[in-house]
Amino acid sequence: MTGEPRGRMSVEQPLWQALTAYRVLTMLYAVGLFASAYHQFVRPGLAVGYYVVLAVWTLATVRKVSDARSCTRAFLGVDLTIAVVGILLTPLADSASRIHAGGPTLPSIWTAGSVLAFAVKGGWRWAAFASTLVAAANLVERGAPTRDTLHNVILVWVAAIAIGYVVEVARASERTLARALEIEAATRERERLARDIHDGVLQVLAMIRRRAADGVTGGGADTVELVRLAGEQESALRALISRGLPGPRDAVPRALPAGGPRRDAGPGDAEEDPDAPVDVRALLAGHATGPRIALAEPGTPVELPARVARELSAAVGAALDNVRAHAGEQARAWILLEDEPDQVIVTVRDDGPGIPAGRLDAAEREGRLGVAQSIRGRLRDLGGTAELYSVPGQGAEVELRVPKA
Amino acid sequence: MGESPLKVMVVDDHPMWRDAVARDLAGAGLEVVATAGDGEQAVRRARAVRPDVLVLDLNLPLKPGVEVCRELVGADPSLRVLVLSASGEHADVLEAVKSGATGYLVKSASTEELLDAVRRTAVGEAVFTPGLAGLVLGEFRRLAAGPPEPAPATPAPRLTDRETEVLRLVAKGLSYKQIAERLVISHRTVQNHVQNTLGKLQLHNRVELVRYAIETGLDED
Repeated sequence: MTGEPRGRMSVEQPLWQALTAYRVLTMLYAVGLFASAYHQFVRPGLAVGYYVVLAVWTLATVRKVSDARSCTRAFLGVDLTIAVVGILLTPLADSASRIHAGGPTLPSIWTAGSVLAFAVKGGWRWAAFASTLVAAANLVERGAPTRDTLHNVILVWVAAIAIGYVVEVARASERTLARALEIEAATRERERLARDIHDGVLQVLAMIRRRAADGVTGGGADTVELVRLAGEQESALRALISRGLPGPRDAVPRALPAGGPRRDAGPGDAEEDPDAPVDVRALLAGHATGPRIALAEPGTPVELPARVARELSAAVGAALDNVRAHAGEQARAWILLEDEPDQVIVTVRDDGPGIPAGRLDAAEREGRLGVAQSIRGRLRDLGGTAELYSVPGQGAEVELRVPKA
Repeated sequence: MGESPLKVMVVDDHPMWRDAVARDLAGAGLEVVATAGDGEQAVRRARAVRPDVLVLDLNLPLKPGVEVCRELVGADPSLRVLVLSASGEHADVLEAVKSGATGYLVKSASTEELLDAVRRTAVGEAVFTPGLAGLVLGEFRRLAAGPPEPAPATPAPRLTDRETEVLRLVAKGLSYKQIAERLVISHRTVQNHVQNTLGKLQLHNRVELVRYAIETGLDED
């Protein structure tokens, strides 16, 4: 039938093991039941003959129910036939009074094993088929549809169909899981290839920039433009790579290895839970887009609730805007992300002229301090702090601290 | 340079890039004693020519750069390795530094930066980018936060407050000179602090490796 997973532990394997044990135990039970009521049988010889066949068959086919592949249609057919024949032989071997009183059939509960084999092998339709046959045989055996016979028949029927259904669901989930694992492996391979390609492109871009920069004095405007373009593309690609490659793999549930490719938590995913942890690194990578902005971060994910991470990232964005506004387009900036046991620290530093001592306080007093207020306000809302300081000749620094919940 | 020129070997799988770097280094008066295009070639040739500095890309065919670094530095601790990588996969960079590389530069660095880095690596200075400083800081914090295994047989290495301070300033893009000014210490002291952080990480790595070797060795009995 549909490709059963081989070798590995599956949901249905325990069912086969249980069935293997069930068949042997119920065979012994049926024999025991007969032995205890031997003198009541009208044709004990017939019953003995049947039990010999039943015992030999059950023991000879123990391995047949060890997994789905061994459990062939031929086996199922013979197994069910033996059960049905046993039921139909009951009125011939046993006394009419016992049958009338609702006594056991010859195979008794062994019959259920046969029906369950159908269920586990082929799902609820096969189970319905087998249990219907058994039900019919039971009704013929009793001669008339009494209430407890119907009761038992329906019980077997419902149980068999339910188990068959469960097996089908289990198989479907196993197939889905196998497919998900396949997709994940393929995605990982594709990512590896993409990384190689990106690596190559990065190199070429870096080299164009480098070669052109060497000859730039005689190169004219075109070369200058080429250098600029190569530099831009290089840093854009670098930012893309460090953020992780977006792809269909986001549809697949996966465990994220530390330091491995990160789930893309770009500012775009609006539908996610505000308290779900996101990697701050992925958000900050969006800021380090130009060649003038460098990002230093730990090698392992720095997680904060999405809401907090986004506010922090927005504060970093405001700080970078501030750098552009006050230190000029040509200023360089460095972002440092640190993950301490009780807090996350992000520092944004620039190499601009810095802030003259007291100017920020003065601005704050005068009530016109867009930047400081926006950054401080955001951080205060998160229960954190924002500190701005400047060392003469070494630019300005904003240190954002957010406590971990 | 009056004395014998610095012997450099360039390992990179992109021939154009490799040649360009080799040309730049040679043009600046360094002696490029060998180049290699894959990891296995790199190990063989480096053993034969014994360069002073190995300029190593991490993304190599046949054998990853990290492994090349581990084998070569393991056999000859006097070899200096400068990692020059394009995309800077965090895990690889950290692993390379733990395995004995003392410098790291991204490929977008200018020729001057590269030359400066090679010369500093040659004299045993640790060459840090802000990115590497961030990674190293993160690694110490990760180690301090406790190993995942139940018994921390080797105590996690710790940075002194001063070392952490220096590393944070490196990660924020300050030059050693600026750091020296800010902390009112000498340039040399800044270098020593940076080097110590790497030394601690590499020592911890070696101890872990030895412990691992002993454990697996005992398990085999």
